[in-house]
Amino acid sequence: MFFRVVDKERLPDLIAGLSSDHEVIGPIEKDGRFVFAPISDPSQIRLDYDTTLLPPKKWLMPPEETMMHFNCADEEVTDDTVVASPRVLFGLHPCDINSLLLLDNVFLQGHVDPYYKARRDNTLIVGMSCTPSPTCFCNVWDTDEVHWGFDIFLTDLGDRYYASLRTVKGAEVLDRHVDSRAVTEKDTADFQQVVHEFKQGFSNNVDTAQLPVLLDAKFDSPVWDDFGSECLSCGACSMVCPTCYCFDVKDRLEVDQKSGARVRTWDSCQFKEFAAVAHGQNFREDRSSRLKYRYYHKYWGYLSKFERVLCVGCGRCTLACPSGISPVKVIEALQAGGSR
Amino acid sequence: MAPRVVVVGLASDFGCQVQITNIEDHLLEMLDVIDLGYWQLASSGHMPAEYDIAVVEGAVTTLEHVELLKRLRKTASVVMTIGTCAHTGGIPALANRCDLDAAYSAVYGEGSDVARGRCAPGPVHSVIDVDYQVPGCPIDTDEFLAVLSKALQGLADPLPGDPMCAVCKTKENVCLLDRGEICLGLVTRTGCGAKCPSLGRPCTGCRGLAPDANFDAARKVLASKGFDPNELDRRFDLYNAVREGVR
Repeated sequence: MFFRVVDKERLPDLIAGLSSDHEVIGPIEKDGRFVFAPISDPSQIRLDYDTTLLPPKKWLMPPEETMMHFNCADEEVTDDTVVASPRVLFGLHPCDINSLLLLDNVFLQGHVDPYYKARRDNTLIVGMSCTPSPTCFCNVWDTDEVHWGFDIFLTDLGDRYYASLRTVKGAEVLDRHVDSRAVTEKDTADFQQVVHEFKQGFSNNVDTAQLPVLLDAKFDSPVWDDFGSECLSCGACSMVCPTCYCFDVKDRLEVDQKSGARVRTWDSCQFKEFAAVAHGQNFREDRSSRLKYRYYHKYWGYLSKFERVLCVGCGRCTLACPSGISPVKVIEALQAGGSR
Repeated sequence: MAPRVVVVGLASDFGCQVQITNIEDHLLEMLDVIDLGYWQLASSGHMPAEYDIAVVEGAVTTLEHVELLKRLRKTASVVMTIGTCAHTGGIPALANRCDLDAAYSAVYGEGSDVARGRCAPGPVHSVIDVDYQVPGCPIDTDEFLAVLSKALQGLADPLPGDPMCAVCKTKENVCLLDRGEICLGLVTRTGCGAKCPSLGRPCTGCRGLAPDANFDAARKVLASKGFDPNELDRRFDLYNAVREGVR
């Protein structure tokens, strides 16, 4: 990794330059919140955003996508290949960049998901430093820092950005589109100061020590029923989660009764149907067991396979849950022992 | 030979039958795969004696409706309901919340001779078994075609059991409950793509109660957002005065 410094007023040059040969996706305002959406004018972008309604995964794995078309009359199947045009995800916070690395583990290892891969390979990542908000808890998973998984990362030093260049492509686009200069000792000192202040800004310092042990030891804790009784089983948490990757596959028949399409849509383990199998059996019939399963998968199941928890502490689920259930509350309740 | 389909209406505003006319893009295609034997809204003839699929709109409000439904069930191999009135009893079923005769008098005048053989308004499934349902007020044309396809193919088409919030999140709507509106999506069956919330209007529950919804928790959510928790039940009654047995 090496570094350059970009004056803040030059940033629109970078966005405009990237726009010449990429679709630039960045945070823009929507009804008082923010969404990752295509940017047509650099002034639309809101780099002061706290978080977005949906995470960046929607640009790699859309909520609904067609996988293949079929025709029963001709007995023909046509795979839908993703034609991914060059795209930039601009302004991603460290938690969201880390979330893509967790999705990569699932979609790019072993059985490679061609739809995800096509988009991932054509996506440039420009990260941006952030300010902790009251729902953030990335600090407890160390996902408040990111050291790979991006092309350029811009740390806001007030009047300028400390640009970390992680890839050759990142260095090339920066060099091509914007005036930058070499880093001085003062720049690095200021960077260290900004990072220091950032680390002090977190309000959630939930104790996650020995969490897998705690989960196994508290499998029958009343905590699960307490939260389960408040859970709406609505699946909002899964939809807004940057690391939830489950999907459902459905066939849709056209009116002609011959042709159709196979589509996949985001799914949630909080739906009752999720664990339903043949003969009407269901592994997780009641909502407490479904809620519990979500936590066991995120903080133990995925960890045991990929050595990371499947959570980046972005706080979106906390904001989206109508009942206000959050991982911080659940883990604190488990740490505390009995019921809340 | 294409399966013969009849479309009949009970107590409703016929809005769902009108929706079928709105399938302009696929109407002719649809007529290639079915033999449309009768369509109450658009036909001047009579219903044929034999048919394979009966599509029913509207709530049951008279004994005549009851007899008609029994005949449909006996004749057709498949019964499919369209719209909220047929699915949950809908708006007509609101009359269950008051004295039925008093309600008729209030609307049509004291002693008026309407709706002979009137009975407590209810959904179609309260009288006969139903194989396929297209919920909603009015129905979505694409969903109608999808369910019709399932019926033609003899494929099961269980309605989704979960509430509206998940799909609403995928539309990147800011939660209406956080914008000062009581949205019934918390407990309403998903499947419409959260159409109303996506247009900034709260869900009014026209697709019926999501079987997997947590009504108690939803009342608490309303209270936590500063609303009267009983408003959830009161507003949900609009399309869901009858809740028992609705699938």
